[in-house]
Amino acid sequence: MDTLAPAPTPQPPAASVPAVSAPAILPAPAGEILIDIDQVDFFYGASQALHNISLQIQEKKVTAFIGPSGCGKSTLLRCLNRMNDLIDGTRVAKGSIKIRGIDIHRPDVDVIELRKRVGMVFQKSNPFPKSIYENITYGLKLQGVRNQARLDEVVESSLRGAALWDEVKDRLHTSGLGLSGGQQQRLCIARAIAVEPEVILMDEPCSALDPVATAKVEELIQTLRARYTIVIVTHNMQQAARCSDKTAFFYMGKLIEYADTRNIFMNPANPQTEAYVSGRFG
Amino acid sequence: MASSAPADETHFIAHKGHFRLFGLTLDDCIKVFFGGNAVISIIVLALITYFLFREGAGFFGDNRRNLEVYRQAGLEYVDFIRAQQDDHAALTRYLSDLRVRQVKFYTQEKKLSLAEANAAVAGFDEFAGQYGDAVDPIRSLVSDLTEQATAIKEKFNVMEDKKTERDQLVAAGQPAAAAKVVVVPVDFVAELKPILGTLPAYRDASADFAKRLAEVVSAAPAMPSLALQDRLERFRQLNAEYLAGFPAVLRNLETWDFRKPVPAAQAFMSFLFGREWLTASFWQDWYGVVPLLVGSIMVSLVALVLAVPLGVGAAIYVNQIASPIEQKFIKPCIEFISAIPSVVLGFFGIAVLGQALRALSQVKALSWVPGFPYSERLNILTAGCLLALIAVPTIFTLAEDALNNVPRSFKEASFALGATRLQTVIRIIVPASLSGIISAVLLGLGRVIGETMVVLLCAGNRIAIPDFTAGLAVITQPVHTMTGIIAQEMGEVVHGSIHYRALFVVGMLLFFLSLAINYAAQRIVRRYRIAIG
Ligand SMILES: Nc1ncnc2c1ncn2[C@@H]1O[C@H](COP(=O)(O)OP(=O)(O)OP(=O)(O)O)[C@@H](O)[C@H]1O
Ligand SMILES: [Mg+2]
Repeated sequence: MDTLAPAPTPQPPAASVPAVSAPAILPAPAGEILIDIDQVDFFYGASQALHNISLQIQEKKVTAFIGPSGCGKSTLLRCLNRMNDLIDGTRVAKGSIKIRGIDIHRPDVDVIELRKRVGMVFQKSNPFPKSIYENITYGLKLQGVRNQARLDEVVESSLRGAALWDEVKDRLHTSGLGLSGGQQQRLCIARAIAVEPEVILMDEPCSALDPVATAKVEELIQTLRARYTIVIVTHNMQQAARCSDKTAFFYMGKLIEYADTRNIFMNPANPQTEAYVSGRFG
Repeated sequence: MASSAPADETHFIAHKGHFRLFGLTLDDCIKVFFGGNAVISIIVLALITYFLFREGAGFFGDNRRNLEVYRQAGLEYVDFIRAQQDDHAALTRYLSDLRVRQVKFYTQEKKLSLAEANAAVAGFDEFAGQYGDAVDPIRSLVSDLTEQATAIKEKFNVMEDKKTERDQLVAAGQPAAAAKVVVVPVDFVAELKPILGTLPAYRDASADFAKRLAEVVSAAPAMPSLALQDRLERFRQLNAEYLAGFPAVLRNLETWDFRKPVPAAQAFMSFLFGREWLTASFWQDWYGVVPLLVGSIMVSLVALVLAVPLGVGAAIYVNQIASPIEQKFIKPCIEFISAIPSVVLGFFGIAVLGQALRALSQVKALSWVPGFPYSERLNILTAGCLLALIAVPTIFTLAEDALNNVPRSFKEASFALGATRLQTVIRIIVPASLSGIISAVLLGLGRVIGETMVVLLCAGNRIAIPDFTAGLAVITQPVHTMTGIIAQEMGEVVHGSIHYRALFVVGMLLFFLSLAINYAAQRIVRRYRIAIG
């Protein structure tokens, strides 16, 4: 599957992504390190939000970020596709974030290309005020895809991928805002996977959904992990326990513990982690 | 104060209304105060509307009478012949234009001197002279008839004045004095007799005239070039059409009847579709709003064409692209424009912009621009540019609001899918706020159409429909506007006269236009609110 090919694909558009990772690790097996966060300090203006974070995210696994509110989970997540660039006065003061060995802050890295490879699903579902069809094809059209047959195909496969096809196939050309909250969130996931990213970042994707819709999204995450690397922020301990392979616990902008999910929940090494996952603070 | 009740009996919650004014609590007073303000503003609005309508409504009756007199006094009859004379004058102008072209041809193509060129067109001059003089019998007939018809109208006016005087005296309770006022009724049949009696004379004159024109034209000299010959042929054709219209004129005259009533609708139509606004004329006043309406629309259009890209562009820039420092600087600057008194802008328009634009139009390199070079300093373009300046703050502020209302999450989602800033603006932000932007533009239009001072000072104030055959160059012609005419003439008209009322009707039209524009803008905004959810 070409989505899983290493960063510098041979096509010309990829020229913007430097051809550093020459040792191409073709169809990388699950478990390879995809994102390498190394001693990152992050600042909003003068206030420091992340302190010396080091974390390695594995390919085709689900990594959960947990921690009390304000501990910097979203901040770190948004660092991974440089969405923080949109906020004035933010900077990564120290350390590096590498995806397949390429530092995403290198001046020659094209942030547009980066965001195509690292998709994002937001806490509040945010479909565009356009039709379902146009919502999904938006990313492709940005890349200049005009072929109608190809667009149709991608719409179907993405909606199927997001387990939404059967519910909306008869109303593809109605507004995406007319869907229910859970459907909207899955539409956003479909929109994200339509551009075939390698990584999908999800920031509390279920926080606004009811239990049934949440279950659907969780199920979806389980099927997506076969093809994508997923990083998910959640406040729901059960959710983290259910869907993730690895879990990182943050507190006050610091990474407290990072391990296999089972270990974090059954056998945490750090007393703070234990207190948090057992619900005694936070 | 009121609470002298036994304190031990009442619970503290029951303690209420220490302060009372005319039996009202403080709460009630506040309610009355603000409610009163709202009511007063609604009453004032209603009064304005009522007043506008009361003063304006009388116009249509007056105008009908005006048209009746036009018919009864024979002015209409004379104007049939006058129109024939005017059409001839237009053809004569065509010939003088052709002469200019010939001279140009001789001097520029054939490199003759001016004197030689003039000599070369001597034959043509003779022809044109004969063509022009042929109208003389008709012209003298028209001028005789004009005098007679004016006299009848004058008599009628005197009678009307006397009637009014008598009525006033009666109303003032002086029947004796009223009885002394002599009202001489006008006997239209008798008065019109001499005018109608000229019909045989006209018939002969007209036949002679037609024969003479045909003769003269058939002997027209040949033109020195093919293009000019084409023009001459065109002239021949026009002349033939002109002659073909003669029988219709005659028929009009023969069937004309001064007793034929003027339909009420015509009083209305002659206002709404009348192509002439002519007041205080010795002959006949016309109150046709078309030239003013067209003037207002043209000026507003030019203003919008300039202001929409500027205002919307600036709004997009400030809202989506500018750094906070730029925002802090640009926003107040643009908003400040709306604080400039429009009379000052008008000043600027006359003194600086009008001059500068005209100077620019006379630059050789720009002569390809339609309408350039031009000599009228004050015209549609000058006024439009200034009005654009007035519309920009409105459009900018409202469009910026609309852009602001686009949820931030749309923008983030777009960026997260790998869109550039430009793509996000064009594909997401602008479409999502489009109806807001459209309503901003409409409100800008409303602002511009109602603007008075600038157009009064800078539009050139020529009451005529601009010549649209000039294409885009039409924007370099002077016009007059609805707002301008009200401001200019309202101070001088006689209170209660038909002219006074006509101005009110123009005001009503403006009022309806603004109302329609505002209503459309609100509808669009409401739809947009629903769409965004
Ligand atoms: N745009 C911003 N400007 C300034 N400070 C911010 C901004 N966004 C977040 N912060 C601060 O950075 C810190 C980390 O915020 P972040 O949003 O990453 O927390 P979080 O772990 O996602 O919390 P939650 O679980 O409530 O979403 C907080 O102290 C927050 O106040
Ligand atoms: Mg968060």
